[in-house]
Amino acid sequence: MKVAFVVQRYGLEINGGAELHCRWVAEHLRKYFEVEVLTTRALDYVTWRNHYPEGLTTVNGVPVRRFPVKRPRHPERFGRVQEFVFHHEHGEEDELRWLEEEGPLAPALIEYIRDHRNDYDFFIFFSYRYYHSYWGVKAVPEKSLLVPTAERDPVTNLRIFHDLFRQPRALVYNSPEERAMINALSRNESVPGDVVGVGTEAPAAAAPERFRSRHGIEGDYLVYLGRIDENKGCRQLFDHFLRFKRETGSPVRLALVGTTILRIPAHPDLLYLGFLGEEDKFDGLAGAAALVMPSFYESLSMVTLEAWAMRRPVLANAQCEVLKGQCLRSNGGLFYESYEEFKEALGLLLADPRLREILGANGRRYFETHYTWETIENKYLALLNSLRGT
Amino acid sequence: MNEELNNPPGDAPIRVDYDRVDVADIMAQVRARIAARPEPTSDAEASGPQPVLPAGQPDSPAPDGGEGRSRAKRLLLKLMKPVTPLIKLAILPVNEELVRTVRVLDHANKQLDYLTAKFDRDIHRVESQLTERLGRIDTQLAITKENVKLLHALSHNLVVELTKLKIEHEALRNKVRILEKDFETLGRREGALEKRPRR
Repeated sequence: MKVAFVVQRYGLEINGGAELHCRWVAEHLRKYFEVEVLTTRALDYVTWRNHYPEGLTTVNGVPVRRFPVKRPRHPERFGRVQEFVFHHEHGEEDELRWLEEEGPLAPALIEYIRDHRNDYDFFIFFSYRYYHSYWGVKAVPEKSLLVPTAERDPVTNLRIFHDLFRQPRALVYNSPEERAMINALSRNESVPGDVVGVGTEAPAAAAPERFRSRHGIEGDYLVYLGRIDENKGCRQLFDHFLRFKRETGSPVRLALVGTTILRIPAHPDLLYLGFLGEEDKFDGLAGAAALVMPSFYESLSMVTLEAWAMRRPVLANAQCEVLKGQCLRSNGGLFYESYEEFKEALGLLLADPRLREILGANGRRYFETHYTWETIENKYLALLNSLRGT
Repeated sequence: MNEELNNPPGDAPIRVDYDRVDVADIMAQVRARIAARPEPTSDAEASGPQPVLPAGQPDSPAPDGGEGRSRAKRLLLKLMKPVTPLIKLAILPVNEELVRTVRVLDHANKQLDYLTAKFDRDIHRVESQLTERLGRIDTQLAITKENVKLLHALSHNLVVELTKLKIEHEALRNKVRILEKDFETLGRREGALEKRPRR
């Protein structure tokens, strides 16, 4: 069996989102069948400018075939088109124009898929919202699997995607919430699919003391992992956290790990540590009182899974249905919708190490049941074999 | 095993069953606790509306004994006034606050340094990008100018050629007309010649 993974960007430099998800799945499934990645030459997700060389290369043992981006994205023009389709009455043509502006505009990739459809048994498309998935699924619907990685954001309301969700041979969802949302939007219940998600590789042991001494952190601390961005709920997190400190006088600190595109308030208990290596990151997670996930939009939070893999509880934004659902199903974390709830939930976590320990252990159990690589691989294999048999 | 946790006075207790921790149950208790709290009111609202005195009417006198107490309080405050800063220094954690403020300032300074350096780098990058783009735009502009000139010459040539073609077309039409008349004459002559031998 030969399977093509189709994704908007691919490379070792890309360390998050659907691209990393795709790379991990491709690397894990290559031991079962022949795998090839079809992608663009882009590295930058804002402009999609061509960066990697064209043609066939190998990344971590996986053959990668790259196609040029015909025209880089013009952020201003894209912003204008997006504002129009999100907030004004519009037609399908406008939405297709939005898709073209969204990019990455790589018609050669779609042409290749159409011309070589017989060379592959299946095409697995990652991220529904980009050009490659929309036109790729339309080019080979009978051989395509779509991993939507959809969040409850305005893009899901665009009508062209409702049609798209009914077309592939199967869908691979990240969470039951994502599945319910897509089913409700597109009435695609008849399309086969499964909730799979993605695994994570956590170290067997970590050294929190090493992290503490390296960054000079004493006492209880919370950790946030990911891009420090308003869209990720970080501004609200800063407001809640600083208010919590003012009102309770708690000495807890908040360690922020990741690249920032938001001004971090100047406060001695907000510790911006920048981008950390894997070892340092897991050391930090293992020593934290809890991981905070303030994001409003997630289709599956990989860092939440990593926290549970390290037996740490999570304090999540309940306005994101996926995060709330994960906390409820796992019993591995508390959540908040308002500052009052944030204050109460964080107060509970900080006051009770035993509760933290039990929540962390529950999270670990949930991770082991649903998100080890063995489970993920078996789900993909079962789905592909069932499609092959029909 | 049930235990009550984190219970500030006046708040409903939160019970956690450590043998079977149920997040939904904990969050329901948290919400119930928040809902049970009275709505926060401002000082003005809490004290209720102040009665409005009619104009010109003096304030009510203090109840018996109240005047003496307030006079003693005023006297005591007057006596304490010179040593008030010392008392404040002794009571308030000034040192702690100072250290905290210095840490805040230090943090802010570090952030400023970082942001200034980042700003300089960004400005430099934007400047070089702009220069590069301007260069490209100049080249494009020159090419476009040349293209316009060429198009102009081309359209001029096209007009000339079309005029010539039109004249030639007219001449050809005239030639055709003459040839048609010749052909007609020759036809008539042929008819006349054919009649002669028969005679």
